[in-house]
Formats: sequence, C-alpha cells, structure tokens
Amino acid sequence: MAAFLPPGAPRPRSGNDNPSQPPPPNYNPNLNPNSLADNLNNLNLNRPPSMPSSAPRASPFGQPPHFPSPASLPGVSVGSSPFSRPGPPPGALSRPAVPPTGPPQSTLSPNVPPPARSMGPPTGQPSFIGSRTPPGYFPSSGGTNVPPTYVAPPPGAFPSSGFPSRPVGSAPPPGTRPSTASPPLTTGPALPHSSAPSGYVTNGPPAFMSGASPGGPRFPPAGSAPPPPIGHPLTLGSAGAAPQAQSMRSFLASPAVVAPPGPPAQPASPFSAPPQGVPPPPGSYGPPTWPVQPGQVGPSQPLSGSVQPPRMFGMPPPPLPNQSMTAIPALSQTGAPVSGTSKIDPNQIPRPIPSSSSILYETRQGNQANPPPPATSDYIVRDTGNCSPRYMRSTISQIPCTADLLTTSGMQLALLIQPLALPHPSEEPIQVVDFADIGPVRCSRCKAYINPFMKFIDQGRRFICNICGYTDETPRDYHCNLGPDGRRRDADERPELCRGTVEFVATKEYMVRDPMPAVYFFLIDVSMNAIQTGATAAACSAISQVISDLPEGPRTMVGIATFDSTIHFYNLKRALQQPLMLIVPDVQDVYTPLQTDVVVQLSECRQHLELLLESIPNMFQNNRTAESAFGAAVQAAFLAIKSSGGKLLVFQSVLPSTGVGSLSAREAEGRTNISAGEKEAHKLLQPVDKTLKTMAIEFAEYQVCVDIFVTTQTYIDIASISVIPRTTGGQVYYYYPFSALSDPAKLYNDLRWNITRPQGFEAVMRVRCSQGIQVQDYHGNFCKRIPTDVDLPGIDCDKTIMVNLKHDDKLQDGSECSFQCALLYTTVYGQRRIRVTTLSLPCTSMLSNLFRSADLDTQFACFLKQAANKIPSSPLLQVREQVTNLCINVLLSYRKFCATVTSSGQLILPEALKLLPLYTLALLKSIGLRNDGRIDDRSIWIECVSYLSTPLAIPLVYPRMVAIHDLKQKDENECLVSPVIPLSSEHVTDDGIYLLENGVDCLIYIGNSVDSNILQLLFGISSAEEIPTQFVLQQFDNPLSRKVNDLVNEIRRQRCSYLRIKLCKKGDPSGALFFSHLVEDKNPSGPSYVEFLVYVHREIQMKMSS
Amino acid sequence: MSEMANTDPEGLDGVRMSWNVWPRTKVEASKCVIPLAASISPIRHHPDIPNLPYAPLRCKTCSAVLNPFSRVDFTAKIWICPFCYQRNHFPPHYHMISETNLPGELYAQYTTVQYSLPQNPDPNLGPSPLSPVFLFMLDTCMIEEEMGYVKSALMRAIGLLPENALVGFVSFGTQVQVHELGFSDMSKVYVFRGNKEISKEQVLDQLGLGVARRAGGTGYQKGVPIGFPHSGVTRFLLPAADCEYTLNALLDELETDQWPVPPGSRASRCTGVALSVSAGLLGACSTGTGARIIALVGGPCTEGPGTIISKDLSDPVRSHKDLDKDAAPYFKKAVKFYENLANQLVSQGHVLDLFASALDQVGVAEMKVAVEKTGGLVVQAESFGHSVFKDSFKRVFEEGEQSLGLCFNGTLEINCSKDIKIQGIIGPCTSLEKVKGPAVADTAIGEGGTTAWKLCGLDKSTCLTVFFDLSSSDRSNTPGTVNPLLYLQFLTSYQNPEGQLILRVTTISRGWIDSAVSSEELAQGFDQETAAVVMARLTSLKMETEEGFDATRWLDRSLIRLCSKFGDYRKDDPASFTLNPSFSLFPQFMFNLRRSQFVQVFNNSPDETAYFRMLLNRENITNAAVMIQPSLISYSFNSLPAPALLDVASIAADRILLLDSYFSVVIFHGMQIAQWRNAGYHNQPEHQAFAHLLQAPYDDSQVIIRERFPVPRLVVCDQHGSQARFLLAKLNPSATYNNANEMAAGSDVIFTDDVSLQVFFEHLQRLAVQS
Repeated sequence: MAAFLPPGAPRPRSGNDNPSQPPPPNYNPNLNPNSLADNLNNLNLNRPPSMPSSAPRASPFGQPPHFPSPASLPGVSVGSSPFSRPGPPPGALSRPAVPPTGPPQSTLSPNVPPPARSMGPPTGQPSFIGSRTPPGYFPSSGGTNVPPTYVAPPPGAFPSSGFPSRPVGSAPPPGTRPSTASPPLTTGPALPHSSAPSGYVTNGPPAFMSGASPGGPRFPPAGSAPPPPIGHPLTLGSAGAAPQAQSMRSFLASPAVVAPPGPPAQPASPFSAPPQGVPPPPGSYGPPTWPVQPGQVGPSQPLSGSVQPPRMFGMPPPPLPNQSMTAIPALSQTGAPVSGTSKIDPNQIPRPIPSSSSILYETRQGNQANPPPPATSDYIVRDTGNCSPRYMRSTISQIPCTADLLTTSGMQLALLIQPLALPHPSEEPIQVVDFADIGPVRCSRCKAYINPFMKFIDQGRRFICNICGYTDETPRDYHCNLGPDGRRRDADERPELCRGTVEFVATKEYMVRDPMPAVYFFLIDVSMNAIQTGATAAACSAISQVISDLPEGPRTMVGIATFDSTIHFYNLKRALQQPLMLIVPDVQDVYTPLQTDVVVQLSECRQHLELLLESIPNMFQNNRTAESAFGAAVQAAFLAIKSSGGKLLVFQSVLPSTGVGSLSAREAEGRTNISAGEKEAHKLLQPVDKTLKTMAIEFAEYQVCVDIFVTTQTYIDIASISVIPRTTGGQVYYYYPFSALSDPAKLYNDLRWNITRPQGFEAVMRVRCSQGIQVQDYHGNFCKRIPTDVDLPGIDCDKTIMVNLKHDDKLQDGSECSFQCALLYTTVYGQRRIRVTTLSLPCTSMLSNLFRSADLDTQFACFLKQAANKIPSSPLLQVREQVTNLCINVLLSYRKFCATVTSSGQLILPEALKLLPLYTLALLKSIGLRNDGRIDDRSIWIECVSYLSTPLAIPLVYPRMVAIHDLKQKDENECLVSPVIPLSSEHVTDDGIYLLENGVDCLIYIGNSVDSNILQLLFGISSAEEIPTQFVLQQFDNPLSRKVNDLVNEIRRQRCSYLRIKLCKKGDPSGALFFSHLVEDKNPSGPSYVEFLVYVHREIQMKMSS
Repeated sequence: MSEMANTDPEGLDGVRMSWNVWPRTKVEASKCVIPLAASISPIRHHPDIPNLPYAPLRCKTCSAVLNPFSRVDFTAKIWICPFCYQRNHFPPHYHMISETNLPGELYAQYTTVQYSLPQNPDPNLGPSPLSPVFLFMLDTCMIEEEMGYVKSALMRAIGLLPENALVGFVSFGTQVQVHELGFSDMSKVYVFRGNKEISKEQVLDQLGLGVARRAGGTGYQKGVPIGFPHSGVTRFLLPAADCEYTLNALLDELETDQWPVPPGSRASRCTGVALSVSAGLLGACSTGTGARIIALVGGPCTEGPGTIISKDLSDPVRSHKDLDKDAAPYFKKAVKFYENLANQLVSQGHVLDLFASALDQVGVAEMKVAVEKTGGLVVQAESFGHSVFKDSFKRVFEEGEQSLGLCFNGTLEINCSKDIKIQGIIGPCTSLEKVKGPAVADTAIGEGGTTAWKLCGLDKSTCLTVFFDLSSSDRSNTPGTVNPLLYLQFLTSYQNPEGQLILRVTTISRGWIDSAVSSEELAQGFDQETAAVVMARLTSLKMETEEGFDATRWLDRSLIRLCSKFGDYRKDDPASFTLNPSFSLFPQFMFNLRRSQFVQVFNNSPDETAYFRMLLNRENITNAAVMIQPSLISYSFNSLPAPALLDVASIAADRILLLDSYFSVVIFHGMQIAQWRNAGYHNQPEHQAFAHLLQAPYDDSQVIIRERFPVPRLVVCDQHGSQARFLLAKLNPSATYNNANEMAAGSDVIFTDDVSLQVFFEHLQRLAVQS
C-alpha cells in the first residue's frame, strides 16, 4: 500500500512496523494523512492560482481506491478489538492497519473534503463531457485508467446483482422477474449502443436520470392524449430545451410536441453548447420537456428507452401509482378530456437529472448577463463581467420591472450570496487589486465599489455609478481614456473593470485596529458523559491532528480549555515545564484566569499542546462530574480571546446543566405535558431564553466566532445552543448518537475542514442594489447591529447568506439592475481585504421572461430557508401550508398567464421550475417539517439550513440514491456518482444495496436477501443480520469494495463534508430511517409524488376556476 | 510570692500584676488610678513546671481545677474549692492521697501545672487529625527581585516544616489561585476572581469541597474524582514530606502577576478575597485541626473586598490624619471585612499570620483585627530581602531552643474569687462571649464580656493583659469571714506543636488590703513596669476605639492623680514632693510613653502604628517596657559596658552606644570611634582593644536579635550620620538647640521643641501638689 502514498507524505512509520503498538502509532498515522490533506488543501483551496488544474488533484484523489477505504477500514476492523477505549482518534484506528487493507493513512486523506473540487475534470474536458450523457456507462471518453471492470456495463452486472426485482407491477416475487424483467434487461444490452448513438447521447443528461430517457419514449405514446409537451416546451423549453428536444424527439417519436420549442431554445444552450456542436450538454440545464404530463400513460415501457440504465428506470411503472392517478377525481372534474385515459406515469414525471460533466459557463456573453447553470451541476465559470454564480445568484436571472409583476409571478426575488465560495479548480482565481494608499475607487455617494458596470464618460474623466446613478469625478491617478467602444482602454487589464469578483487590498481606513491574528480557542467537554462516550478523546485527538493544519506564522494563536461543572484553562507558555491547569470554578459569574498565556502563539506551545491533548482524556478518566457548564465555559473562553477576537471551537457532549446559560431537558417536559406540548410544540425549537443570545451578541461584537461540535447521545437543546454559532457566523456540527467507533474520523475531518477551508475573520458585509431595488433583509449566520450591514465574526466558504430584495421603484425595461456585495474581512494571514462581487441582470416586464429565467435551485433554496425560518415561530401545519401554497402560486401564475389555454386539463409546469413540486414535496417530508422527529434533529436541521449553500440545499431534502451492489467500472473522468435512482421504494429491492446521501448523512441500505458474497466483499459480514449499529466503512481488497469507497469519497468530496455513514436494514428503525428519505413514497408525513402532483393540479384548477 | 524574684519577675506562673495587693472596694480601686490588671503569659516555657499525665480534677460547681490553695481533708478525701468553697470528693484514683503523698497539683510551689490530656479518640478525624496545617498565601504582585526573595524564603521554610505538617499553597494577585498540590498529572490551580466577595460556602462549593460532597455517599457526586479516597481537602493540603518537591517546582515556575498594570496605577491585588478563599479552604478541615494561613503580602489590597486604597497611584494611602478626618474612604469597609474574616477564622479555630513587606503600607492597620483576634504573628519589613523578614520568617519554622513554640486552638478560662469581675483582655485573643457569669464585669475592656477566650494561635511568648474590676456591692459588714486572700486561676488548654492537647493551670493568690487603712502596703504591691505597660496598652486601645480620645492629656492626668495619691508632699509646695520608691520610675515611663510611637502616632503610618501596638499587646512586660522606654548601653575604653541614661547627654565622641528600642537595635558610634574605625585601626594588631570595643556591641546586639521575634532591625550608625536619628529620637532631649551652648564638647544636641524629662518632672511636681 505504501506505494500509494504521495511522495511527500512522511511515510516512515506508518506502515506495518508495529501496528499493535497503541500510543505512538496513533499519532503517526494521522499525521501522515494530515500532511496529505494539507497538500491538497493548500493546492486547491488556498492557492488556487498555482494549481495546474488536473495534476495536483490527481495525486490525492487519484489514489482513491486504497486511500479512502483503507483508512477507515483498518481502524474499524482492527480497531474494534484494541479499541476498548472509545477515545482513540481515528488515526489510531488506522494504525493497526491490517496489512491487506492498505495504508492506514489513507483513511484520512480520502475523506478529506476539501480537495473535492480538485477532482473536477480538467478544464479541457468539458467538451467531451458535455457530449456524454450517461456518465456511468460511457467508456468512450479518453479516460485514461478505465478499470477493466467497467467494461462490463450494466447488463452484465444486472443479472448477477439480481436486479430482477424490476417486475412490472404485477410481478413482485422474484419468480416473475425473468419474464417481466426481460424487456428491460434486454434493453440493457442496448446500452452500449445507446452511448454510441449521438441522438441518444444528447439526451444523456436526462438519461442521467436514466429514468428520463425511458420516460421520454413513453411520452410520445402518451402524447396521444394531450399535447403534454406543449405547455412546457413553449415557455421553458426555449432555452436549453431545444437541442435536447431534438434529441428527445428522435426517441420520443412524439414529433409535434417537442419540436416547436426546440429550435428556438438555442439561447439556453449557450453553455452547454460550447464544444462540438454536441447537443445539449448537461441535461441538467435545460432538460427539455419534462413537464409532468398527467394524462399520459406510459405506453411502451420496454422500448428503446430502456436502453439507459435499465436498473432503475427500466422499472415498469408500478401499478399503484397509476391507479391512484386515474382514480383521482380532480382531473376529471376539471373537465379534462384526459380523464379516462389519463394516468400519471411515475416514470415520466419530472425528476432531477444530474449532469455528469462540467459545463463551461461565461457569466456574460455579448454584453448580456448569461443565466447561470443549475447550482447543483458541475460547471466552470469564466468571469466576464458578472460574478460567478458561486458567489452570488439570484432567484430569477431577470429582474421584474415592478413589484406587481413580481407579485403576480408568485416567485421570490432574492440573492443567495456565498462570498467566499470555493471556486472550481479550473477557474481563474480571484484577482487582488491594490490601490495602495488611496484605496479602492468608490462612488462618493453610495460608496459602491468600482466595477465593470460603472460607466465612464467624458473621456474617462467621470463615471456614472451603476448603483445609485451619481456621476463622480475619476480620481486623477485612475484616469484613462476611453476607446472607440466607449470602454476604458485599460478595461481589460484592470480586473476591477472586467471581472464580476475582485478583491481589494484594504487600506487603513477600513480598519479600526490592526487586522486580528488568527486565534483558535478549543473548548472541550470533559464531563463524565463526554469522557465515557469517548467524545473527549475523539475531540482531543482531532484537535491534536489538526494543529499542523493551522496557518503557519507568528500570527497564529492557540488556546485550550476543558470544562465540566468548572472550567479548566491551560497555561501553555513554553517557559513552563508542563502546562498549568487553571480552574475557574465560579460558573455563575465567569472570568478568565489569566490575562496572557491562556492564548499563546502556536509556535511557542506546540509541544505543550500536544502533550496536553494527549493527557486530557486520561487526566479526566475518572471524572464523575456529570454537570456541564457550557454557557459559562463559552463565556470564559470568550473572555480569554476577547482582546483579539478569534475562533472558538467548542466540543460539547451533554445538556448544559449548570452555570450561566444552563438549560433544562424541556423536550422531556414537553413530552410529559402533552397538552401544552401540542399547542406550543414549535416553542421547543426556539431558544429557551435570551441569555445565550445576549452572550452571542457580545461575542460578535468582539469578533469571536463560535463553532460547536455536539457529540452527544441525548437531548442537548440545539435550539438554544445554536443561537451562539448562528449569531457569530459559526455553525453547529451534530454527531448524534455519538459513536466512539465511527464518529472520530468525521469529527476530525469536520474540524480539519473547519480550520483549513477558505475563511475570513472580523468581516462586515453589505449588499447594494441599483436604484429601484433595495435590500429587505438578510438571513444567515451573522450578527446584525445596524440595518444595512451584516457583521460576521467569521465567514467561510460554506456559509451562504440570503438577501431578500424588494422594489422601491419601477425599473426600466431593458436596462440592467446591479447588485454588489462587498465583504470586508481579514484573512487568516492577517491581510485586510474587500471582496467585491457584482452582478448585473437585465430588467424585464414580461412575466414569461421571469419564468424562463427562474433559477430553480436558488428559488428552492430560498423556499427552504424561509420555511426553516418560520418553523420555530409558527405552528407546523401553517408552515407546511405556506410551503405548499408557495409552490402552487407559482405554478398557478404560470398556468394562468403563460400557458396556452388549451391545456386546461393538464398540470403544466414551467420548464425551469418543473421540479418545484417534487422539491416542495420533499421539503414537506423533510426533518424540519415533520413533527415526528426528535426536537434536536429538527433544530439542527433548521440551524443547518440557515447557512446552507445553494448547491447543497436540494440534496438536503431530495437526497441522492445510488445502487452499490453492482457498481460499474467507470472511466476516470466520469462521474462516479451515478446513475441516480429516484427516491421511491419501488426502486429499492431486497437484494440490493443502496447508498443514499443528503450532504449530511449517508445511509447504506442493505436488502434482506442480498447476496452474501457481496456483503462479504463490501462489509466483511455474511448476512444482513450482522449489520453493526456503529459502522466504519472499510476498504477490502476487492474491486467492489474499492469502488464503493471511491464512491463514498467522491460524494464526500463533492459535499465538502465527511458524511456519516450508517447501515440500514429492513425491519428495524434504521430501515425506517432510510425509507423516510424516499420522498416519492407515500408515507405518514406526506403523499406520494404522484398524489402530490394531482393535489397541486387540483388546487390550481380550483383556483383557476374560482 | 517567691516568684517575684527580680531575676525572673514573671516566675513560674508568668503572671505580673499592676497591683499585687488589692484594695477592698471598687471605690478604693478607682482611687488607685492604675487599673487592676494582670499580664499573663499563658504558655510561657519554664523548666520547673510539672507535667501531669492525667486529667485535672475540677470543682463541680465552678469547675475550677484542684490547686495548691485548695484545702484538703485527707481523711475524708475531700477538697474545698478556694473560689466557691464547694466541697469536692476526690475520685477513687486519688485514694492514695495523704499529707505526705500529694499529687503534683497540690504541691505548694506548683502554682502552675500542666496536664497532658489524652489524644482525641475520635476515629473519624483520620490518622493524624492534629497535624498542623500551614497554608501559605503568597502575593505575586511584586517585582521579580522581591519575588525571588520571598520564594527562597518559602522554600527554606517548607524544608523546615515537620514531615507530617499539612501544607497548602495559595497565590494571589489580580485573582486568587488555589493550587491543588495533590493533582499529579500537572500543575492544577483553581482561580477565583479578585473583585468579588466570596463566602465560605461558595469557596467550598467551587473547590468541590461542599458539605454534601464531603459527606460521602453515592459515588456520583460532582467534583470528587475517584482515586482520592480522602477526596476533599487532602487534594489541597498535603503532608510536607509529600509535596515538598511539587511545591518547590511550583515556586520555581511561579511568576509575578501577569495582569497588566497600567502606568500610574497600583498593581491590582486582591488580598481580601485571597484571605476569604484561604479561610474557606481551611474551613474544609475537620474541626480541631490547628491551621494557620501564612500570608506574605507585598503591597496594599486594591481589588475587591478588603481594598484599602484605589488603584490610582496619585491617591496616597491613608494616613493618621486621613483617619482622624474620616477622609479614608476604604478604611471602615475594609476593617469591617477583616472583622468578618476574623470571626470566620476564629470560629474555625485558625490563625492568620501576616508577613508584610513593602516600602509603602499594605493595610496592616485594617488587617490587624484578623491577626490579633486569631493570635497570629505579624512581621512588617521593607522588603522580603530584608533580614527583618528573612530571619523572622525562618524563626517561625525553626525547631529547638529558638522555636517560637507555635500552638493552636487555645482556650483561656479564668476563675476568680468572689467579688472580682473580669472586664476583658487586651491581647491576641477573642472573647467567647457566650460564657457569662457573675465574674463578668459590666463594662468591657478589649475582648470582654466573658470568662473564656479563644486563642486560635499562641506561642511561648504570647502575653495577655487581663483587666479586673471589683464588685460594687459593699460587703465589709462581715469582716470576720473575709478571706484575706484572693485567688485567680488561669486555665489554658491548647494543642502543642506535636499535636498534643495540653491544659496549663495557673493559680495565684494575692492579698486584699483595706487601702483606707494602709496605702503604704498598697504602694508596696505596685509594679511600676507592669503598670506602665498596662497604661500603654490601655491608652492604645482607647486611641483606637474612643472617638477624639486625647491620650497625652489622659496619661498626664492619670499620672498627676497617681502622684497626688501616693506622693509625699505638702500641699502646694512642689519642692516638697517626693515619691515612694515603688513609684519612682513610673513618671519616667509615662514621659517616654507620651513620646513613644504608641501615643505620638503622627510620625508613623497607620500600618506602623498598628504593627507596634500589636506587638505591644502580645509581648511580655519586659519587652513591652523596652518598647516604651528603650534601654541604652554604653561601651567605652574606660569601663565595662554599662547602662546609660536614656538621654542625649549619654552621647560621647569616644563611646559606642547600643540602643534597644525593641523594634530596632541601634549601634551608635561616637565621632571619634567612627574616625578610628574608618581609619582601619581595628585591623591593626596593636589596636586589638579597639577591635574588641567595636565588636562588643555587635555581639550584644546579636544576642538581642536572636531571641526576639520579630527580628528587630539592626541599625549601625555614626554620630552625625543620617541614621543617627534612630537613636536621637529615643533620647531625652535634655540638650536641644535652645541650650546647646551649655553642653559638653563631644556630646550632641537634638533638634526638637519637645520638653525634656526635667521640665516634665517640674510640671508634674507642681501639678501633683496642687490641691
């Protein structure tokens, strides 16, 4: 295995030397991985520019096979025995590394989220990618290292894997399969072909959905009924649809429908278009006509469509859904002709189609804002004036001229801003502009920063602000003549005049004090519970490993404290022979025990720190103090770093029970007092009182950002606790129920990412809008003291802030409206910077334009955040109703004003928003909007949503599911995560193993009758009965296991999160958990997808007619 | 009264009384001017005191202990208590008693005996419940240099502690740090904020020593880590043998207070809270443990309760003038705080020792109450590097002959004959108030209202002044039955350094006299030295407690009244005035007392005054007399060392003077001597005599210094040198600049307007004879 290690990695001891020896080994292994990780991070994240896109990544990730898995594996397998103690850090686990498994180190590195981006395909590739449709299947691409296994495409796999379950509705039992299944299967072989045929390919994107393509074919037949496609294609289709449409048609055979939209659609295609005229690139973008066509019956399922991933898609429409559809009176009532024939084919209803390939996207083309690709797709941005959509995206890519228009559309106008978002490695890094002493050029009235949309006039002597319209004198030093095109001659050389995002070096005027040092203060719970569950050991180990990831240099300061019913600080000064423990016993009225020396330069205390972290778990081994003075400890730690500000990382394991801000187990109280509990259920999702909020505001004032790692096995009142991170720009990490076996690795990776991700301190953010629009409010994790600005003691690449906008005037049709976000922050290396992100969008007075340019992902993220926002303050029913109505209103508006009249009996969805019902349904079934969950689970969901980025918003409610019992070999460049299975239990068979992830958790469902060989290969167990409750994914020496590990690591990379993995099996709570994520199923928290569509349709019809 | 021998005026009993013969009535007593008072040294060492290894017999009504003055009926095996006349049967184990076989306590010469009581048998107190506890409390707000001194002093002290002594360590500055010496993994410190008052319960709770927790019980109590079987306080207090290394390491690393001190400010020092915390910590000790807080303080308390001065350096520390004008805003509050602290310590039976070393005041005046009530030691020096501190501190822990004999948990009870009332005690003790009885006087002096006192800490030299009064009832109508003798019994129980419980019983008798009949006899019983000291102590007390008390005037009037009563003169004829030899020295004592630091406080800071007074109150009569009236010895070629007149006239160019004013010892070289010495004659063999002359006062001073605690300051100076003021200030200004021309060559003059002794006498005579 050693061979795998990157050259740089300090390999020496890692290997097999003394696997058994516990102490030293623990650390070494970990270190190595760290270093790896470091390299990765540095390369990708911190020093984006330098990276040759592909090269660096390759090394880290390329090795995936062993890397990821081994790490985890060794730890686990071996670990279990030696592990008597919960504490041992993940690294330790790896140690014992069984020779076969692979180098222990790998564990860490693979998991490391940061590098994720790097994986991306090399820049050049986009073209290919675009063309490819079914990611999984295609061997075609130049893929260098296609593993042999891949060769055998799905077909082969199927049989073995026992995919049989497909049976059409009627045939559930295996026996039937052969017959029924046959069609799909047979088609299976077709796959190879499919890839080949260009036409097919184009569909690719949809194909991705696999289901989609098959669906496509059905369409036409169905088409017979109504002109399903019509509605959609018309409006939406225009964009991306066109190309695809064409392709579609070929298959679909339903000519009429699609056709019209197709051609015109071109505009949409832009990005996809790039490379060879290949059809529609990522299907995701403008998958043409997926609108739901209620009426259609899936006629011929077998067909060519089957070609695709037969597995999921091939599935014949289960009878049930159909029946329900037909049964639906609503449709008939509307008088739709369809009634008789109408059925909703579950296989044809809209589903997300993940794109497999990177899109090359230019933010502006032909001096026009270019609508962004879906947030969830893989794209590479070229900043040509507008900012990258990663940093800022609007719910609608065209701005309605009037408030009325917006209201009519039923849509939201908001910006989602992720100011420090991770760029794609292939993207040009953000340029830093130094105006030296004079500071960045700004409008003297509204203080907007210079940007590409400021118009220079009068030979460049003056410029007009695109935000407020004021005309300013150009500073003499900044003057430049204009060229014939009216632009400054130097516009292309100056990043601030040609890039949507630039960073200015801040001058003294932007500082109230010297930029703060990078201060990290770790606060660890050592109460009895924390010690006994191994949480303390895990935390110490994680911190210890992460120390080396802290920024180098004299400006990095570190402090540490532990707490139970008292608070223990440590004097880490080097002069001391050993750390000195300072206890603050007064938890009602806290203070810091030393003015200095509690927080010390990292370089001065490294040894002490390591020593200390090693000894903390032992030192408190016999601690019998069950109480936890969380609030007091946080307050005390705050006092310790108050003078400089900094990051406070808290590891908490039990409900804070004593001292300032102590909490009670009100969840239990709520349960015992049911009558009150029912009525005021949502109160439990609110902070219990203002104590912590008050504290948090003070923290924010002194630039202290608090992150809390909750490693608990009980109720801990996240609702109250989370107020602190939320107000200070931090976040809560939640490990419930904490497992000393499987969670330390995640804890470490989370912590590492927390520290190494791009971030800034003592930040202030403000969004300015062109005249006519103003900011209504901000939403996210921050502190707000004055209405216009947002204070962010900490801001990092994962944090997103939603900015709701409102009209205060009419806009000029045809003009452009600009939004500028300025983030003033201090880098970890102590530079004061202003990141200015500018987006200029066209204004429109056409409702149809609004629908065409609606950005589904962004809109849904807004939905999600608004809903989450309301949950704690409104009764659940009300929130659910509001969510549903939001969806209905948008669709109603479209139906009413944009759709053709003829389609009255159909549910017509705007192309851009065709998935809105599905996501809305998923949202209704999400943890936050269910009332059967644990209070803390709901609270953490709400907390998580509040800063969630757009790309992660959809997976959170609509997870991604793939089958892993028969993973195909894939080309290196292809997307590992595919094909994706619809979230319906029909697609889950008893002999399959499925992985479902939502960006936070990763559930692996093991059917009851899975081939024991596969189980052995993947998990080292022989039957589903042996599934452990605490699970650590290991990599075994077989291709399947390697692939699964690759897959998991790829997912972790994509999500920038080390997902928790949990095994689920049928018939126990874990299984129920898994099935609760299958949002298309009917379950206690909501109707099935089809039912929901019917419901929505009926509502619309009712409103139309009323 | 054999113990009245001059060589050892205090004798076996360690008791000296202002009057050794008492007038019969209250009226007569008041006419005597000088109060009836006894100065007792309750546990003064004396080789002749018998040690009785059994428990004393007590009178069943008044609980007085059997003593040589009891009448014994050997046949009936009955003894009659001399105090209440109760007849008590001897218990069976005294059955062997006979006129020729007396138990020790009945020997006539053993008016003082010592009983060793059996150890406390309570097994709950653990293996060595009586190991003394030393809790060191170290100020860290000082410059590195001072810190170095005090650390090395501490290390040496710890090395000297008995192995079984329990040691604790608290450091303080801006905050209080309680060091958990029993935590082996690393140095562990509990930190308390310095600006918040903290109760004993809070301290215990926050240190994890709360009552509930100490009680044991379920294994899940918080704050009690397993693995500490005795959990509780043994985490903080360890046997010296076990923690010496830890402590030394800790001291090595201990730094001065790290909290920044803004320019123009005093360091923030929370002495008050530190004391509260220390006292609270000791509160976790089992009752009966002898414990002392040894506070090493390097500056004034500026933080939290007990603050004596603001942090602003432009605010000077309060002076006597401020106190007089009520312009010391912190004073009363601070005193109140330390009073409460004192009460807490007393209730726990623990001692506060104060070692203050700083150029400026540290608040001894405020803390005095806590030190005095607990019977603690106090040493005030300019620096921790100064020998006054260093040597004194060392002496505290030294064993053997020089040891201070620090004892704990003392209780003093006094029994006295009928008609004698006890007004109170001045000295290092606390009234136990609860004990009331017929022997308690209506008016209290010092610690009064009781017949029992607590002496948390006491040592061989501890001395108390007991004030008596007589019952006002006139019962002279039964003269026949009147016993011509009065009895006083002092019972002092305490725990000696070895942890033994000791009861010392001193019974004395004195004669009653009808002063109307014979004032001569009364005069014979007058002890001038004791009377002077008693007056000094009483004056000090009144100055501290009575608003607007004019000490000089009060002393003068007392002296005049005394002289009027006991002088021999013709009315209005000053020249005819003579004084009985029993009173002859008294006026001079009063003269010097008037000029002393005890009365003339304005030359000193309140801290110094408090310090002087505390020592005045706790030292024996001889030493106290030296404080009032220093001794002066003259060395010259022509004669042996001899006492010299405490007068400026004693200064001569060819003399060396050795002044012992108790707090300082001054070696004063006459001009000529200094010149010779500077010329180095004493190094030349032919001038060996000179070398001897030079050496003699040094040797003598060392003798004084070695015996004294606190160690006095040694000042070596030359005539006309700046340090010479230490001598001049104490001398009778018989030669001032006013009459300098009259003086002999080589002598000196004192620049003062103070009256000289001669003038004082002239006035006294004149006033005494006035009708």
